[in-house]
Amino acid sequence: MAATGQVKNPTATMGFAARRSSDARSTNLIRIILLLVLAGSWEALSRSGLLFRDVVPSIFSIWAAIWKLLSTPAFYVNLQVTAWEIFASLAIGAGLGIAVGIVLGANRFLGAAFEPYVYYLAPTPRIIFFPVMIMWFGVGIASKIALGALSCFFTVALSTAGGMREVDKVLIRVGRSFRATSWQMATKIYLPAMRAPVLNGIRLGFGTATVTALLAETKLSNQGLGFMIMQIYSRFDMPSLYGLLIIVFILAGVGNLILGKVTGTSA
Amino acid sequence: MTLASTAATGATSGQPQLVIDNVFKQFGEGPGAVTAVDHVSFDVKPGEFVSVIGPSGCGKSTLFNIIGGLLDEYSGNVLIERERIAGPHKAVGMVFQEESTFPWRNVIDNVAFPLELQGVNKSERLDRAHHFIDLVGLKGFEKLMPSALSGGMRQRVSIARTLVSGPQILLMDEPFAALDEQTRLLLGDKITQIQQDLNQTTLLITHNLTEAVQLSDRIVVMTYRPGKVKRIVNIDLPRPRTSDVVSSDAFGHYVAEIWADLREEASRGMADTESARRASNRG
Repeated sequence: MAATGQVKNPTATMGFAARRSSDARSTNLIRIILLLVLAGSWEALSRSGLLFRDVVPSIFSIWAAIWKLLSTPAFYVNLQVTAWEIFASLAIGAGLGIAVGIVLGANRFLGAAFEPYVYYLAPTPRIIFFPVMIMWFGVGIASKIALGALSCFFTVALSTAGGMREVDKVLIRVGRSFRATSWQMATKIYLPAMRAPVLNGIRLGFGTATVTALLAETKLSNQGLGFMIMQIYSRFDMPSLYGLLIIVFILAGVGNLILGKVTGTSA
Repeated sequence: MTLASTAATGATSGQPQLVIDNVFKQFGEGPGAVTAVDHVSFDVKPGEFVSVIGPSGCGKSTLFNIIGGLLDEYSGNVLIERERIAGPHKAVGMVFQEESTFPWRNVIDNVAFPLELQGVNKSERLDRAHHFIDLVGLKGFEKLMPSALSGGMRQRVSIARTLVSGPQILLMDEPFAALDEQTRLLLGDKITQIQQDLNQTTLLITHNLTEAVQLSDRIVVMTYRPGKVKRIVNIDLPRPRTSDVVSSDAFGHYVAEIWADLREEASRGMADTESARRASNRG
């Protein structure tokens, strides 16, 4: 039985490249069809009058709202605020996460003692710490950055600690045999060997930082895209609301894509 | 143990560079303890090529780690120029059995690694790395990543990397274990040539008999668990040598002689493994 599987293999590999490109074409096709079907159903629902027009506005009014949003200076001011929050929280959270991850990964005792806490805390919804952050850092940008940093810290710390333990032991022995200092061991062996898991952690951290920043902005803030969403919501301007959501989706996707390209990790 | 100089090799008959004196290492405590290295003593003189040969499980790799300074807790002494080593000694350069090139560095940066640690400036670093890449026959491959090389080529990168650090004693643990026989013979040639060119003091840990005879001035034969020195054999084959030596009568004579010793130990090791298997089968 195993033999027949092996016989089939060569022909399978021969057509692999061609098959892959045609696979990519058909998945793209399916995606486009799905989008068109969704848009069509939405538009049909909107025109059917089954729901309030305001709840399901026409695609065309959403489209017009997107253009209007993109031409208001306020959008860019808020975008800048949110981008800065995400960037700063990722920088702080990932920085601390890498440092703590290294300590936990390098020291078997500390790892055994503290890593369970990191594991248990990692999946808790960080938004529950938001009131505390507001008390500490105020309602402005600082509290969002603090919460974002807290949320991506765990992801980065865990993937760093795991990556550290995965480092090929013989490479460590090579470093020791050449009498590398601790600093040299860290910078020339551990860090390059841990590049992939750490970068992957940073990418995941970007996701959580984005979610947290926007979530916090919708709760309590006076600027940022999340604030803008709530402002539009309070006016019950549904086309603009959907328009802004679509813009945020696209921006988050593009951000993730860029980070993926920069770090060389796949999606 | 004889300290007779191996005059045929032209090795200097001065002070031994490396002395292994009554080294003993046990893993674990109490009745479950395993003695890996049992009061092993021998020495290596400057320019000499010594092999330690023994069946799997004779504590060869433990000895390698002790001499390399990677394993600190042992009794007895490893002396380099009459001083007991504490941690990896700067005179010793190690080549590991496992794949040990840095996958994120290209060939030349791999080889230049020890110089980078020493803070040698870049142009000198590259010059010296080039020299040793040339020596191991990898000229033209400087910019390739290890993943683009064969196993034999990667092992040569590791050897060049160790040589570039200028070790007085080259310490190798079955560097060719993962390679096929032809590659092994050809790399053996390379090693012989390098060792003769540099007059490099070398200690090779191996389980391969032909490899040991092909390369060595002396062979330390180890017993199966616990690892003791069974015999030390002088190999008086002419130098300079090449792998052609394997077809000579004298070579065959040495192989047969050492095999007679080794066979007993290897079959003891095999019987041990088999009975352990049988026991675990029953359980």
